[in-house]
Amino acid sequence: MTVASEALRTPDWLLQGEAGLSPCTRSGKQKRRSFIEKTLNGASNVMRQAMFSEDVAQQHGLLQRIDARVKVVVGLVLLLAVAFVHHIPVLLGMYALTLVMAAVSRLPIGFFIKRVWLFIPIFTGVIVVPATFSFVTPGDIVLPLWSWHGHAVGMTTQGLETAGLLVMRVATSVSLVVLITLTTPWVKLLAGLRALFVPRMFVLIIGMAYRYVFLLLNSVTDMYTARKARTVGNERDTRRDRRFVAATAGALFGKAHALSEEVHMAMTSRGFRGDAKTLGGLRVSGLDVAFALTCVTVAALLLGGDHLLGR
Amino acid sequence: MSVTSEDLLVCTDLRYAYLERFTALDGVSFSVGRGKKVALLGANGCGKSTLLKILDGLLFPDSGGYEAFGQPVTEEDLEDEQFSMGFRSRVGFIFQNSDAQVFSPTVREEIAFGPLQMGIPPERIAERIDDVMEMLDIAHLIDRAPFQLSSGEKKRVAIASVLVMNPEVILFDEPTAALDPRTQQRLVELIAELNQAGKTIVLATHDLDVLDIVADRCLVFSEQHRIVAQDTPERILADRDLLLSVNLVHEHTHSHGGGRPHDHAHDLRHHAGRA
Repeated sequence: MTVASEALRTPDWLLQGEAGLSPCTRSGKQKRRSFIEKTLNGASNVMRQAMFSEDVAQQHGLLQRIDARVKVVVGLVLLLAVAFVHHIPVLLGMYALTLVMAAVSRLPIGFFIKRVWLFIPIFTGVIVVPATFSFVTPGDIVLPLWSWHGHAVGMTTQGLETAGLLVMRVATSVSLVVLITLTTPWVKLLAGLRALFVPRMFVLIIGMAYRYVFLLLNSVTDMYTARKARTVGNERDTRRDRRFVAATAGALFGKAHALSEEVHMAMTSRGFRGDAKTLGGLRVSGLDVAFALTCVTVAALLLGGDHLLGR
Repeated sequence: MSVTSEDLLVCTDLRYAYLERFTALDGVSFSVGRGKKVALLGANGCGKSTLLKILDGLLFPDSGGYEAFGQPVTEEDLEDEQFSMGFRSRVGFIFQNSDAQVFSPTVREEIAFGPLQMGIPPERIAERIDDVMEMLDIAHLIDRAPFQLSSGEKKRVAIASVLVMNPEVILFDEPTAALDPRTQQRLVELIAELNQAGKTIVLATHDLDVLDIVADRCLVFSEQHRIVAQDTPERILADRDLLLSVNLVHEHTHSHGGGRPHDHAHDLRHHAGRA
């Protein structure tokens, strides 16, 4: 359009009213929820969870005050201890301790338990259920289910013990990891990984990826919202929907690529030459040392107790 | 074009085309004196951002020359560690897209990034971070993640992340775009203050309203990617034919008795001949 342009000729239909597709009143018939709604809800859930995690990590609880590196190292020690325990009562004791730690760190207990147990039945249950049967773990049948050539087949005591041990080991391990991740801001957790000799460049890249996940999530939300705003009627066209998803993925990839070039320029502009230099700022205090010693002592006592109970 | 010993940045016949086919600059020559404020004016796509990237050594011209602080700035020169550190510590660039510039997980890490690369001692970095955050009124954002910031806050963080390096030359790409009026005003005042403190400012802008505050010289770019005028803001703004020809104003832009050229809503009926 040149500066001294002719006036735009607006089409006649745009200057007239348009008959709506249907009256603007309720019919009582509900629209089916589409994949667009589900994606938008999923995206906003991710944002909500991230915000919630950040809020929890800022609480003034015990674990929030512990240095991230200490938590990572102590967490690793406790996970190893859990792996070597062979008695369910000891594991129950360790699990109870994680609940106590969650409480003193001001984590909502219901949320904490749900976070740990929501997926254990699905993943661990699928693995352990066969192990309870006599054809996998022979032993004293406590729950006979059927007979096979005159032999009873069912769940055995030994099978149930094995399953219980595995489930409790998983639950306790997951509880330890959830405690660390909920009580440590993601950025400090990354910095804490340096204590495990994770390369600085790796930490830098993951940190930036975390930062830009939310930006790209916003782009996805915008695209889906735009699509939702122009979706009229209830017709489902799976092929068209798949094309939309593919196009969105392609557009997002293009956007991410363009953004990555700009980000690289921004980094270069401020002196980046390939060496990752990050802020330190993590300091080990008396509380951290006391916490580490206590956890290691508890782990040693539990392993000792487990050993005394015999194999 | 005459170059004086006080000229910090000197561009001679710069030409640049993206992918060797989309011309961005077509023979641009100018210089920027120490302590001056220069505005690059022009419509979208005329090459302002590309020029700023060349001035910051992020892009390199296809032909022509660029010198900064008396030294040529080429890709090979910036491979040299000492030259790179010297150049990067002296020239700061505030991008139009704050999301690209604010790439660290928290505000504190973002502002610390530049000084860390420069090798400034950690105690001094901490002091500088506190000072710039207080100056830009963003101290309360220190541990926030970028996705929790508004666009105005992100812009201030981006500015803080450059100012903390205390550069001699500051390049701004559309600094007031997409900002609310209060933030815009604060930014304009900051730019003026930085220049008064001796910083050399080069900024690309569409915002004609604040030109006399942020610039003492304007370079006007045409849509053909060349400089068509270099003069003071007052003379540039008074030349309506020039502004029309480079698509900086519309034919319906007007002034009210000696005021600044501007647009505002007017009766559309006269377009349809029904006034």
